[in-house]
Parts: sequence; C-alpha cells; structure tokens
Amino acid sequence: MSDAYNPRIVGFLCNWCAYTGADLAGVSRARVSSSLHAIRVMCSGRIDPLYVIMAYLKGADGVMGMGCHPGDCHYLKGNYNARRRFVMLESIFKTLGLDGKRIGLWWVSASEGKRFAQVTNEFTELMKTKGPNPFREEMFI
Amino acid sequence: MPKALKMDVEASQGVKNFLKHLLESGKVKGVFALKKMNDSGAVSYSLITSVEELASAEPLMPLMPENAGQALSRLTVKEALKEPVAAVLRPCELRAFTELVKRVQGSEDNLLLISPICAGVFPLSSATDGSWEKQMASYAESSREGKIHPGVRKMCQACTSFIPGRADITVAFAGRKDTGSSCHLILDTPRGEEFAQGAPGTPETVEKEPAELAPLREARAARRSEVFKEIDVQGQKGLIKTFAPCLGCHGCMHVCPICHCVLCVFDSKMYELQPWSIESEPESKGGIRVPSGTLFFHLGRMAHMAVSCVNCGMCSDVCPVNIPVSEVFSMVGDQLQKVFEYVPGRDVEESVPSGTYKEDEFAGIGEQ
Amino acid sequence: MTPHQERTGPGAVPAQAAFLPAPEGTKKAVTDFLKTLMDQGGLDALLVPVEVPDTPFHAWVMVKKSEVLDKAHPLPPVMSVQGGRALSSLTKHGTPWLHIAAVMRPCEARAAVELAKLKQVRLDNVVLITIDCPGALPLAEYVADPEKGQERYKTVADTWHENEFLRPACARCHRFSLTGLEDGPSEGPAPDDAPASVDIHIGLLGEDQNGILLLPVTPSGAEILKKTGLEADRPTAGWESRVRDLLKKKKEKRQAAHEEFRKDITGLDRFLTVFDPCINCHNCMNVCPVCYCQQCYFDTQTQFCTSSVYMDRARKRGALRFPPDPLLFHLGRMSHMVLSCVSCGACEDACPVSIPVGKVFSWVADETQPAFGYSAGTDRGDPLPLQNFLKEEFCEIETPSACGQAQSTEVKENA
Ligand code: SF4
Ligand code: SF4
Ligand code: SF4
Ligand code: SF4
Ligand code: SF4
Ligand code: FES
Repeated sequence: MSDAYNPRIVGFLCNWCAYTGADLAGVSRARVSSSLHAIRVMCSGRIDPLYVIMAYLKGADGVMGMGCHPGDCHYLKGNYNARRRFVMLESIFKTLGLDGKRIGLWWVSASEGKRFAQVTNEFTELMKTKGPNPFREEMFI
Repeated sequence: MPKALKMDVEASQGVKNFLKHLLESGKVKGVFALKKMNDSGAVSYSLITSVEELASAEPLMPLMPENAGQALSRLTVKEALKEPVAAVLRPCELRAFTELVKRVQGSEDNLLLISPICAGVFPLSSATDGSWEKQMASYAESSREGKIHPGVRKMCQACTSFIPGRADITVAFAGRKDTGSSCHLILDTPRGEEFAQGAPGTPETVEKEPAELAPLREARAARRSEVFKEIDVQGQKGLIKTFAPCLGCHGCMHVCPICHCVLCVFDSKMYELQPWSIESEPESKGGIRVPSGTLFFHLGRMAHMAVSCVNCGMCSDVCPVNIPVSEVFSMVGDQLQKVFEYVPGRDVEESVPSGTYKEDEFAGIGEQ
Repeated sequence: MTPHQERTGPGAVPAQAAFLPAPEGTKKAVTDFLKTLMDQGGLDALLVPVEVPDTPFHAWVMVKKSEVLDKAHPLPPVMSVQGGRALSSLTKHGTPWLHIAAVMRPCEARAAVELAKLKQVRLDNVVLITIDCPGALPLAEYVADPEKGQERYKTVADTWHENEFLRPACARCHRFSLTGLEDGPSEGPAPDDAPASVDIHIGLLGEDQNGILLLPVTPSGAEILKKTGLEADRPTAGWESRVRDLLKKKKEKRQAAHEEFRKDITGLDRFLTVFDPCINCHNCMNVCPVCYCQQCYFDTQTQFCTSSVYMDRARKRGALRFPPDPLLFHLGRMSHMVLSCVSCGACEDACPVSIPVGKVFSWVADETQPAFGYSAGTDRGDPLPLQNFLKEEFCEIETPSACGQAQSTEVKENA
C-alpha cells in the first residue's frame, strides 16, 4: 500500500453539507481516501472556476467540488451556479483536449457520510488509474 | 420582406449620404463611425457632429482599430445618450455592444444602430503598412461575388454571423452584386423606418438573406472548421506550444470588448507569484516560468468570457507574437454556446449564462 | 588584489577577469559557466531564458535543477518578456531564502535596477549577471518567420551591431556592454558610494575569441567567481578597448538617429500624428518593465466622461476620435516613467500598429535624464530623480528666479 501511487486531490467542500458529511464519515469511521485535501468553502457557489483551473494547472491530480443537493443550498441558488460552472469547465476542458475527468462536482448532504466516503474513494480510484497529472512536471505553464 | 431604402450610388457613399441627411435634418445630433484623421490619414472611430467632418468619415471601411462595442460602451457607460446618435458598426461589434449593455456597461438609448452584412475587415498590420488600400478593389469584387477575400482577418474569413441580428438598419453589402452602383438600407425596426423617413432614395422591399448568400455562409463555415483544425491547441502539449511566446501583455484582454473589468483579476495582486510557490513548484519541475500563470490567464479568461465571445478577432490582431487567441477562444466559445444554448448578442434581454440557471437543467451533474 | 581591481562602481572595469575557453561556441561556454555557478557558486537558482520544447521561443525560467540549463539561452534572438519584469515577478513578494543569479541583457539588468529603486524588485539576494549583447531581432518579424529569424540571428552574433536585421532599439543602443562603461571612467577610482549595477559581466568581445571573459564587477561578484574556482588572471584591457571603440560608433549612430528624429517630430502637431494610429491597447505600457503599477491610471474609468461631455467635446471640433486623447496617455505615461526608461525597445516590439514608441521614449529619455545627472539603471545607489532634490537646482525655471540664494544641501528622500 505504502509504495502505491497516491494521487493528490483537492476538494472544495461546502460548509453546510459536504464538509459536515465528511465529519460524519469520520465519526462513523468510514474509510476515506487520504488523497483528498479538503478546503472548506461557505457554499459550492463560492467555488470560483479559477480555483479549479489553478489547482489543476498547479498539478492536483483531481479536483472535486461538493455541495448541497439541488433545492437544499443554504443560499438557495449557489449550487445551481456551481453546476453551471462545472458544466462550463468540462466543456472548456473537452474542447482543449484536457482531461475533464480530473474535475467534477458532487452533491453530498450533511447526513451522507457514507456517500462522501464512497464518492471520494471512487474518484481516488479513478485518479489512480489515470496516474499523475502531467502538469505537475510542466515548467512552462 | 423587410422594407428598404434604395439609393443609386455606391454602397459606402450611400451610407454616407444617409448619415449626412440624418445630421443635416437634425434627426441625429451625432454620427459614430470610422473616420480618417485629417493629418495622418490614420483611421479611428469618431463621434462626428459636423457635416464638414463627416466628409472624411469612412463608415464601411474594412478596418477595426477598436471593437466599436467597446467604444460605444465608453461613450454611454457613465450616462445614456441624451441626444440621438447614429452608429455604424459591424455585426460582431454590435453583438459585443449588446453583451456590454447586458452587463450594464453601456446603454442603447438614443442610438440608431446601423450595421452592414459584413465582408470582413483587414488585419491591423495591413492598416499599418497601407497594404489594405491596395486590396480594396479586389475586396469590393469578392464582396459582390459573395466570396471570402483572402486578405481579411482569419476570424472574418471564418465568421458565420456576418448578418447583423438586431440593427435598426442593415446595409446590404456582402453578397450583393450591385453594391458598386446602388445602396440598399434594410429598415429592420420601426425605429429604422422612422429615421429613414424623408431620406433621399426610393422605397423597396429587399430580402435580408437572399439565396445568393448561402454559398458565402457555407464557405465561411467550412473555413471555420479549417481554422479550428489549423490551430494545434490540443492537450497540455498543444496549449504549451500555442502560448509559448506569450508576453503576458494582456493586450488580448485589453482589446476584448467582453473583458470590461476595470481591474482584471489577472492584473491584480490576487494571483501573483508567491514565495511559497517559488519554493515548492520547482521541486517537481526543475524550474518555473516567470512571470508565471500564462496558461492560467488564458484558461481563466476563457472561463470568464468565452461564452460571450463574439469572434471579432481583435485579440488575435493585437497580439504582438501572433498567438491565434481569437481562434482558440472562438473554438471554445462555440462549444460553450452550444452547451448553454446561448448566442452572444442575440437579444439584449437575454441573460448571460453565468448570471442565471434553471433548476431542472444538467440533471446528471452532481448525482454520480 | 591590485588597487585597480578594487574599484567598483559604474564604469569601473576590473583589471582582470577569468577566462573560459569556448571550444563549442560562446553559448555553450556561458551555459557551462552557469552550471558551475549553480553547482559550486552557492546559488540556489538561476533566472535565465530557457527554450520552450518544440518551439522557436524562449521563456524566462527560474531554474532549480542544473540539467535544465542545457536548454538555456542567455541571449535569445528576440526579447520576449523584458528580463526586469521577469525578475520583478520573481522577487517582488520576497524570496529571502533563495540566493538567485539572474542572467540578462544589459538593458534588462538596468530595468531591474530601476525596479529595485521602485521597490518592485529585491536585489538583496540576487546576483545580477550581464553579458555583452549583440542586439535582438524585431519581435514581429521573428514570430512571423522564426526559421528565417534564426538564420538572421546567426549573422547578428557575427557582425556585432553592424547588422541590418537588428531591431531599431538595438541598432542605436550604445549600452550593450558593462553598464556604466558608456559614461564612466576608463581610469582612476570611481566614487565609493556609487555601486555598480551588476555583479558579474560576461565579455564576449575579448581579444581571444575562443573563449569568454568573466568580469568580477563587485566584491560579491568576485567572491562568487572565486567559489567556482575560476581564477581572474586575464587582463581586460583589450576587451575594454574593443568595447569602447564599438561604443563610440554606436553613440554617434544614436545621436544621429535622435537628431533625425528630432527634425521629424518636433512640434505638437507632428508629435500627435506619430501616435495617430494608436489603438489604445496599452501593450506598450504593459510590457514596459518600468511601468510597474498594478492599476495604471490610464486604465481606470477616471478617464471616462459622461456622454454629454463627449458630445460637447465633439461639437467643439466637429468630431471627437474614440478612444479620445491617445496623446494624453502617452505624454502621461512619459511623465511617469521616462526618467527610468532604459531604452530597451520592448514597447515598440509589442505595438500592434508599429508605432515607434521606443524611439520616442528613448529620445526623450536621453534628453531628460542627463538634465538630472541621471542615467537609468546605471548606479544602484543613485536615487530616482523625482525622489530627490537639491534646494538650489533648476532655479532658472522659477519666477522670480531664486538662483544662487539657497544652500547647497542635498535632500534624499526614500534613500
Ligand atoms: S496579446 Fe498575445 S502576448 Fe499578449 S497576453 Fe495576449 S496572447 Fe499573450
Ligand atoms: S479576464 Fe476576467 S477579470 Fe479579466 S477583464 Fe476579462 S472578464 Fe474581467
Ligand atoms: S537595447 Fe542594447 S542591451 Fe538591450 S537588447 Fe538591444 S543591444 Fe542589447
Ligand atoms: S519606455 Fe519602452 S524603451 Fe523605455 S523602458 Fe519602457 S519599454 Fe523600454
Ligand atoms: S502599443 Fe501601440 S497601439 Fe498600443 S497603446 Fe501603445 S502605442 Fe498605442
Ligand atoms: S450552501 Fe451548500 S451548496 Fe450552497
């Protein structure tokens, strides 16, 4: 296990749902991938697309956004905005031949500790199959 | 079929006569159009209030020293026009202005918008060396024949939105055989009709997009996919290669009509190179490029505005190192616009994709 | 050490320099030297242009691993990003734990020195290294046809400034070598309080063309050279006289060019038409190393008027161009920075409508800097003219004139 490749994943977690869900996952002792480096944001609507691009270009192997399920956003529409932003990012990535699978958005409520662990682990596995983000070695970004 | 006003003079002269009539009759107090500067002959947009100065106006001159949308925004952003002004601008410039008005960066009040069916403009470089003037005859000819002139900007060659969508008056130009001897002003809106009343010329009805224009549209569409294929911007390698010579001058952003921010985030302190990056990043790379953030700027700017990109080509034209900025942004913009079913500049009431949402769209996202 | 060697300061040439043979050409010798610097000179990183793979372009890279230097090119065919700007982005927020050497063309190093005075570059941990510069090609021509550019550039390196392909700024550049040499002493001590602008200078114009000279200009430069085990045992006199010969020729060329230009441009009307084609992109300002402001005044909306004001202004003359007042931008910019202009030509390289911005600015710089006894980037210790004043100076512009009344006390602010 120790010499296996461990991807580095940056997660932007909404304070009101996924972040609490992550806590719950911890409390209920679910096994959560150690690849995730979580950054708390007040709402998935606060995930500036530039954060995702920056994390990706600086070599994060994967970037996860997590927010409240549609209809549950603390600020009513932040997650709808977030959804559009990820759709936009995926389109840009696709058009430019970048790997859009390295970024994504997930709805995870405060009570979904299990879902949090599951999506994080699944994403980690996927990133493992992809190997390191080549931008990490890129001098000329 | 829309109403039109026909004049028996060459097209650009017709537009000039019409503008003269508007100014003389007092229907407008100013004309906003391209004009030759008296001393040097250099061309710029100008706000013209006197008939004498109108003499050196060149409303259809195929050059774009600045995207007129940006210029009109400057004119109207602090205060809507108090007096009527007629503005002659190209379709992409009109789209840009519409996008700016949506973003509260200008106002259409009191503006009479006149726009040609566009045969394209020459690159700035040919304005500098004067070579565009030598190409004017062939330009007029290919315009009449509905062909792409090889000297115009690449993005003009690849532009399929060359018919103005929401002008008050459309000048029938590209694809019309008789522009050498006659000028058709298509009166698209009641406002256009109102201003044209009493103007010299004979009323007619004219088809806005006649069948003769179809081959031009097809040729341009074909050219568009060619242009997108020519730029090798795929993947990490392609991006690094494409933007390798970038100076970080941000000229592309500066001349972009959609990029209206007073202090662009990429010019701000926010993303400047910080000591911790300087320490950590070279560990895996062997070194870091400075100034840093070349790709970040371009991808980030794309995320900010490509969905509203009007393909005007200003960015490519201004780039001192010939990076095909506009080609890349248009290619990305095309896809984004498809995804969001958005057409920049189509409708001033339509909100920008980033400013709105539907509850029941993109249902798969987030659920996986 | 001989007393001659101890002299530091602008225009002071160390009597002796280290010599490095260059059997495989000067480029290789210089990069080898840089490698030695990294491995033995006690440096953590090097700032130098490095070739971007599969492209004819070079980008500034802060190099941490010495194998990257295999692709380094201390004198790339074009000046893409002005080196002063690169160094600013690297050191502006501080890199106190990194000891960096920056290898630049002389005009870039001068910009770095100006930027240090403006607190946009930190030189405390930086070793500045310059190199005899044969000049660069016009950027636009190079990007239009890089292959042809590379062919042409070979001839540039051979002919040393007698080359038709040089960009205009380089064609009339007389500060292509060790900074300060152009005005400084050829003999006798320079004043102690006049620090040179660079630490090490690489001479390519030595008598022995089969190698390069490494001149220890400052004590810290000398120390670093010593660490690399290179002995400063070659006399520099031959190199100096060759440089001075060329310098003299170039100075004459420069003056002639200015003279011609003066005739061409004098008077506001002529001056205005030079900038007539300006499209207001501000590329010139953005690439200028010494125009460092985060938010340029001329990019703010303070420049914008209400539509009524625009209409009124148009009525006065019958027409108002848009954007209005390009000249205001250029004159304003000039008043902000021309005393620090290093004549690098980056501005005109980046102008999409080929306005000779650099020609205008460097001409004005040559006219104004001497009036303040100032030469941009030459002397690290010399304060910026506008941050410094003498009570009794420029009395001739006062009414009534106070000439000869004040005490001669120099007031240095921010010094
Ligand atoms: S105009 Fe060209 S060089 Fe300048 S920032 Fe844009 S792409 Fe880079
Ligand atoms: S890139 Fe973004 S922040 Fe910069 S001007 Fe354009 S929209 Fe504004
Ligand atoms: S201006 Fe002088 S120092 Fe600068 S690149 Fe040209 S020749 Fe070299
Ligand atoms: S004004 Fe032009 S020549 Fe002078 S320092 Fe700035 S970029 Fe260089
Ligand atoms: S780069 Fe040229 S066009 Fe742009 S602002 Fe400067 S002088 Fe004007
Ligand atoms: S509060 Fe959780 S997504 Fe808005």
